[in-house]
Amino acid sequence: MQQRNGSTVQVRNLVKRFGSFVAVDDVSLDVSRGEIFGFLGPNGAGKSTTIRILCGLLAPTSGQALVYGFDVAKEPERVKQSIGYMSQRFSLYDDLTVEENIEFFSGVYGVPREKRAERKAYAMKMAGLEGEHDRMTRLLAGGWKQRLALGCAILHEPPIVFLDEPTSGVDPMARRQFWDLIYEMAEGGTTVFVTTHYMEEAEYCHRLALMYKGRTIALGTPAELKKQQGVGSTMDDVFIASIEREEARAQ
Amino acid sequence: MWERIREMIRKEFRQTLREPRMRGILIVPPLLQTIIFGFAVNLDVEHVRIGWLDDDRTAESRTLQHGFAANRTFELSREASSERVAQDMLDRGEVQAVVRVPPGFSRDLKSGRQAEVQVLLDGSNSNTAAIIGNYAASIIAARNRELLQDRQREKLVGRTQNGPVLLRLPAIEPDRRVWFNPELRSRNYFVPGVIVNIITLVTLMLTALSIVREKEIGTMEQIMVTPIRPIELMLGKTIPFALIGMFDMLLVTGIALLIFHVPLRGSFVLLGCASALFLLSTLGIGLFMSTISETQQQAMMGSFFFFQPAFMLSGFSFPIRNMPEPVQWVTYLNPLRYFMDIVRGVFLKGSGVDVLWPQMAMLGIMGVLILTFSAMRFHKRLD
Amino acid sequence: MSYRRFHAIFRKEMLHIMRDWRSLMMALAVPLLLLLLFGYALTLDVDRIPTVIYDQSHTQQSRELANRFSGSRYFEIVSRQGGYAEIVKGIDRSKVLLGVVIPRDFARHVESGEAVAVQLLLDGSDSNTASIAAGYAESLVLAYSTELREAQLIRRGSGKFEPPIDVRVRVLYNNEMKSRNFIVPGLIAVILMIIAALLTSLTVAREWENGTMEQLLSTPVRPSELLLGKLSAYFLLGMADMTIALIVGVGVFGVPLRGNMLLLIFCSALFLFGALCWGIFLSTVTRSQLLAYQLSLLSSFLPAFLLSGFIFAIENMPWIIQQFTLIVPARYFVSILQGIFLKGVGVQVVWGQMLFLGIYATLVFTLANRKMRQKMA
Repeated sequence: MQQRNGSTVQVRNLVKRFGSFVAVDDVSLDVSRGEIFGFLGPNGAGKSTTIRILCGLLAPTSGQALVYGFDVAKEPERVKQSIGYMSQRFSLYDDLTVEENIEFFSGVYGVPREKRAERKAYAMKMAGLEGEHDRMTRLLAGGWKQRLALGCAILHEPPIVFLDEPTSGVDPMARRQFWDLIYEMAEGGTTVFVTTHYMEEAEYCHRLALMYKGRTIALGTPAELKKQQGVGSTMDDVFIASIEREEARAQ
Repeated sequence: MWERIREMIRKEFRQTLREPRMRGILIVPPLLQTIIFGFAVNLDVEHVRIGWLDDDRTAESRTLQHGFAANRTFELSREASSERVAQDMLDRGEVQAVVRVPPGFSRDLKSGRQAEVQVLLDGSNSNTAAIIGNYAASIIAARNRELLQDRQREKLVGRTQNGPVLLRLPAIEPDRRVWFNPELRSRNYFVPGVIVNIITLVTLMLTALSIVREKEIGTMEQIMVTPIRPIELMLGKTIPFALIGMFDMLLVTGIALLIFHVPLRGSFVLLGCASALFLLSTLGIGLFMSTISETQQQAMMGSFFFFQPAFMLSGFSFPIRNMPEPVQWVTYLNPLRYFMDIVRGVFLKGSGVDVLWPQMAMLGIMGVLILTFSAMRFHKRLD
Repeated sequence: MSYRRFHAIFRKEMLHIMRDWRSLMMALAVPLLLLLLFGYALTLDVDRIPTVIYDQSHTQQSRELANRFSGSRYFEIVSRQGGYAEIVKGIDRSKVLLGVVIPRDFARHVESGEAVAVQLLLDGSDSNTASIAAGYAESLVLAYSTELREAQLIRRGSGKFEPPIDVRVRVLYNNEMKSRNFIVPGLIAVILMIIAALLTSLTVAREWENGTMEQLLSTPVRPSELLLGKLSAYFLLGMADMTIALIVGVGVFGVPLRGNMLLLIFCSALFLFGALCWGIFLSTVTRSQLLAYQLSLLSSFLPAFLLSGFIFAIENMPWIIQQFTLIVPARYFVSILQGIFLKGVGVQVVWGQMLFLGIYATLVFTLANRKMRQKMA
């Protein structure tokens, strides 16, 4: 599959309106292979909407987005073959066992039969649930659930993974373990697109876009962003200063 | 393609059959409903309690009373002492009719004058009242015939030189032949209709609810980003409930035959095929409900909104023929109507495809249309 | 019990109802829909019975009999020149309900004064329609027969003929014999049940599911205040529906209201109160909207529809089911409704039913109150 300019995700002037409300306002960005790209912003900034557009779940109002070379507006189904997605809410079946969930998602992702056992073992190991095949999913603790959800989202080895606030509501320890998995994936060449509103997580990303009221108000590596803000500033400072600048500009 | 559909179906069955409560829902309500409908939904008129107000108190009036007492439909429950008591019994609903023999009944009969008998009917339930009125009139008519025969011998014999001549009078006797349901048991009519009720309810609700539940808990979003095709998702979500609908159809048919002894005169295979055709519509409507609902509660209410009038206008207990013309036209758009015709035709009349093909064709056409329409609305998109 | 807290709950509940168009639809559109259906479209009255006449006799006498059928409003003649084949085909396809076969020698027998049978072929599948149709057809034939005899007797100069006993049927309460007149009053019970059971069953469970119940628990509101606040809101809604039903039933469909309107309203209030308490009780116990909804559908709506005597007479049910109907409150309410509307009866007749509704309401209220206290503690 061709990857123009080495980018796996290309967004140009993306706009999404719901009625008169502009959820995503003229967003443009490029993400290259193996990158961990972070979306940082307060609630309601348009992060989830952008991700949903990139996953082909919502149609953009205008602008263009290419994911793995496919236009999300024109070929959403081709897009879906090359991505993994994990939504804000925990989205596995509570009333199926760990193994049944994995089998189900292997089936709907169309994982070839001969690879299933291997992928299943991989997902179980990744979630740290080896030997827990028959555990009912609703009985798992938060961190395990989260990792199992990630495992299920990448059963088909997608080159791009979208994670929408994957660690909300999980304790710091489990969050740490989860990020280890993200690094592992990125090292293996997977592009990871992640939204968060935890500042410390923003530091883990290779590159960041700050989103506010549907617009990207800052874009760069964490180090670059902090340097622009001034020596010794933290991510918090960057975040607050950017928002203040944006508010001033708007007025 | 089949791979993914199979996986969907397997998941659906696992979820449905694991929980004891869900397993219960598949069996208990159909069972309960069939039995309640079978016993309670009954328009037969039997055990009619009538009061007897005899102001004559003669042998003649007692003969008439025996006539009523001997009839299986009536139970002579109380004798009223006065008109006020009779009125009160009717007011309280203790009796459904009062037969009053006025004073002078026997005297009039003996003297050849016309005697009078009054039947006071509680008309509140007009349906029962009409039937009770018929029965009462026919008992009195029978008594009339007996009396007439006596009188004919006495009065109608003329005389000529050749001796007495019997004047013969014409009599037209209605000779009633009831087809398909000779004992006129309303159960035979209603129990097969319950199949329509249950298949509709189970498949409509389960389809709509199971899709909306996935929307609520967020798994639908997860499935939407997989490469599964909308048609695969749809089939995976409907086939399990189609199978459950067929299972419930078998269950109700079994109860109808074993407990209620309703005759199944036609072909069971035909019934199965018609059910399959009918499922196209109910599953399609269930899908449609799921596309317009965000929560399970909305889906439930939506289904209720559709089901209630559709069932009422299916001809289940209120004949379509009696409805005003505009409403009759509306019923042509109601798939339940056609399936009701088919089920009753197969059970009671033993009708075959030669008779029922128009209904089956309509079910097929409507099913395909509804399913296509719903499928078009069923996107793998959130907006 | 504080009036202020009660009022706060009541107000909040009213806002929920007014804001949620779905509840309002359920509360206002469904009753109207049911009223229209039952008042306008659904009737058990049998008329225009599609009839095929197979006249083998082709005589003046047989044509006269056929004319009697076509002149009656109960029969609609599909064909007067039918044959057996046409009757069979028509009945098979449910296009024909009654076949009247007049035999070849009909006129000859009538002339010579012999008995002759006219065959009435009936589709018995719908037993109710069939037996009413058979009754109409038989009495029509018998009336014709009587007339012929009379004519014969007069011709022979034997004087006037009349049957020895004359039956005078007097229909009380519903002399037009319209099924609408007894179904529409009973429908009030069903409508109130929908409000009570289907809407209320969700109200407490929704607070549990949304987590607002925890918030309420942290306030000084008492269980009884919560219960009464919620009850009052739905009570108003129910009484509004009752008024709609009354106006539409009496005003539009001309159902007679012979009894006392105040008594009617009082009984409705009594019934509604009990039904609402039951809905809230279910909602409190299950804490799940879905489960509460299904349970209330099964435990209140279905019995009100099927086991109350609303359409299907209780006397015809098997003994065991009849015993069961004794604990269905709608049964008592339906008989009160039909009594007040059609028979114009007063308290002296329906006090027993009212007593039951009162006891039921008290019991269920106590039960709901106790459950609410348990769950809130």
